[in-house]
Amino acid sequence: MITFKIAWRNLWRNSKRTFITMTAMVLSTIVLIVSYALMLGMMDDMQHSITDISVGQAQVHHPRYLLERSIYDMISNPQQILEKARSAGIEASPRAFGFGLLSSGSKSAGVQFWGIDPILERSTGEMAKYLLKGTYLPDHAGLSIVLGRKLARTLNADIGTELVVVVQAADGSLGNELFLVSGIMKGIGETLDRSLALIHRDDFADLFVFPDRFHEIALNSKNTLTPDEITSFISQVSGDNEVKTWHELMPGVSDMLDVWKGGMLIFLAIFFLAAGLGVLNTMLMATFERIPEIGLLKAIGTTPWRILREISAEAFLLGILSSLIGGLIGTALSVYFQHYPIDLSRFAEGFSMSGTAFSANVSATVTISGIIWPVVLMWLVSFLAALYPAIKAARLDPVRAMTHV
Amino acid sequence: MLLFISSPGAFAQQLDSRDILDHVDDLFRGHSSYGTSSMKVVTSHYSREMTLEAWSKDKDYTLIRILKPLKEKDTATLKAGNNIWNYLPKVNRVIKVPSSMMGGSWMGSHFTNDDLVKESRMADDYTYEITFQGEKDGKSIIELTLLPRPDAAVVWGKVTVCVRQDDWMPLSIDYFDEQMVKKRTMSFSDIKELGGRTLPARLRMIPTDKPGEYTEFIYLDIDFNLGLENDFFSLRNLKK
Repeated sequence: MITFKIAWRNLWRNSKRTFITMTAMVLSTIVLIVSYALMLGMMDDMQHSITDISVGQAQVHHPRYLLERSIYDMISNPQQILEKARSAGIEASPRAFGFGLLSSGSKSAGVQFWGIDPILERSTGEMAKYLLKGTYLPDHAGLSIVLGRKLARTLNADIGTELVVVVQAADGSLGNELFLVSGIMKGIGETLDRSLALIHRDDFADLFVFPDRFHEIALNSKNTLTPDEITSFISQVSGDNEVKTWHELMPGVSDMLDVWKGGMLIFLAIFFLAAGLGVLNTMLMATFERIPEIGLLKAIGTTPWRILREISAEAFLLGILSSLIGGLIGTALSVYFQHYPIDLSRFAEGFSMSGTAFSANVSATVTISGIIWPVVLMWLVSFLAALYPAIKAARLDPVRAMTHV
Repeated sequence: MLLFISSPGAFAQQLDSRDILDHVDDLFRGHSSYGTSSMKVVTSHYSREMTLEAWSKDKDYTLIRILKPLKEKDTATLKAGNNIWNYLPKVNRVIKVPSSMMGGSWMGSHFTNDDLVKESRMADDYTYEITFQGEKDGKSIIELTLLPRPDAAVVWGKVTVCVRQDDWMPLSIDYFDEQMVKKRTMSFSDIKELGGRTLPARLRMIPTDKPGEYTEFIYLDIDFNLGLENDFFSLRNLKK
């Protein structure tokens, strides 16, 4: 205990040097924690925008549906799958798709109708939050329609515009109906922007003569389960239907994200290395500077072991103190950025791709490991960096050490 | 000239085949016509039956209105030149079919909107030649093989027309795509007197790649040369 007491006193004997060393370590720790949290946040944001807008973590389809998109390739037992998902707390949204014609005055466009259950859709995905204007579909059927951004522009439609819908219904008849535009979506990907027309599942059933049948069930556990866990869980009841993770559904985006993650990890490794080397350098210099002082200690009869202990204790205390202070400030900053994302929209607007929108906000994701790792690393680096010159000094001849410059 | 002199037989045959094709083309076409028919569509997913009434003038104008079933009563299609409009009584709107939807099915049948628009004379769009003459399945028939003229706006790579030898009554028409794969067959049967003409009253379209599916028209009655004017085929009349 006396060792630590002496070490503590020694630290403040040259408060200027201690302060400089501490500042370097505290700053490095902060930089590490915050940059780690921000990179993690960016990766999370990207994954989130893919899975949480409309795709979900996994989807169920008839095995032929994605190839041919025929209205007759529907999921054979949607109720069973929905119940199974509900039993495990997985949010599930059933969707029916159909192609048809939307027209307003002399303008018309071919669109893909999504018959959705607005309540289930809202709890599964966040499409409702990506409204440019107007309101999302009401919970009950009422011939309201929500349009993709570019589709609305093509049709010259605004909130309240009356649209004529003509489709080839499942029974071969010509389904037709009038819908009122209730909302227009923000950009969420080129294809959807041009062709998305959301309607209530009951309106869809009437229009297409297609009651209680669905082509897709999107599954989202909000990250309590991995996509693979969801897939294997739902496969127990899916029968002939195909359950695929979003990685399998969107291989291009998935690969791009993996490459991106790899790149970020490299950046992160460089950050860690740079910060570690910075602290190493500071500690080395601080200890080398004290070699004459160590020589004096030896000359008055201090054993090498005692000197080593003394210096290690100092480095230990200094390391703990600064990495803890750095850890606290870094955590506080990360938490701040988690709640108040950095707004980059001044430099670039968010972009959208393959049905996913990436925002121009960078938010942090705070994790326990993202704090502990930098703290422990900083402490370890400072301790080891002090040990080497300490060992060297302890073995020096006192006279030479005292005159060491 | 030399060619004609050297093969007078071929020239006579050319005339003959043109007459056969024109006969088939004109069978259901007067200067104008009005008729009612039933249409039965059978697909692997649904089958439906409708009763239609239709007016036509030359090859440019057609107006078709659904009489039955009740759910679709008064739904109507107007073809004028290369355009098609549908009238939807439920929403009381007339919709012009956009070019992107021309390849789509007409009223759930095996006919597309394009089939309605692209009515033309076979003898004008194709080069033709008699490729078979004699007994087939117990009937004496003439078979003509038609290949598209280079400048003709047709979708088929080859068409074969089969008629009865004695009265040139059509029996079947086979349509092939540009890879010479058969895509669909139109067969004619139930030959009887209708509107003062002898006609096959039953026309059946069979898509080759969808076994078991067909669309069948049965003419219930038909009148020719009513003296309809062009302005009869108006958007106003479409709505009735």
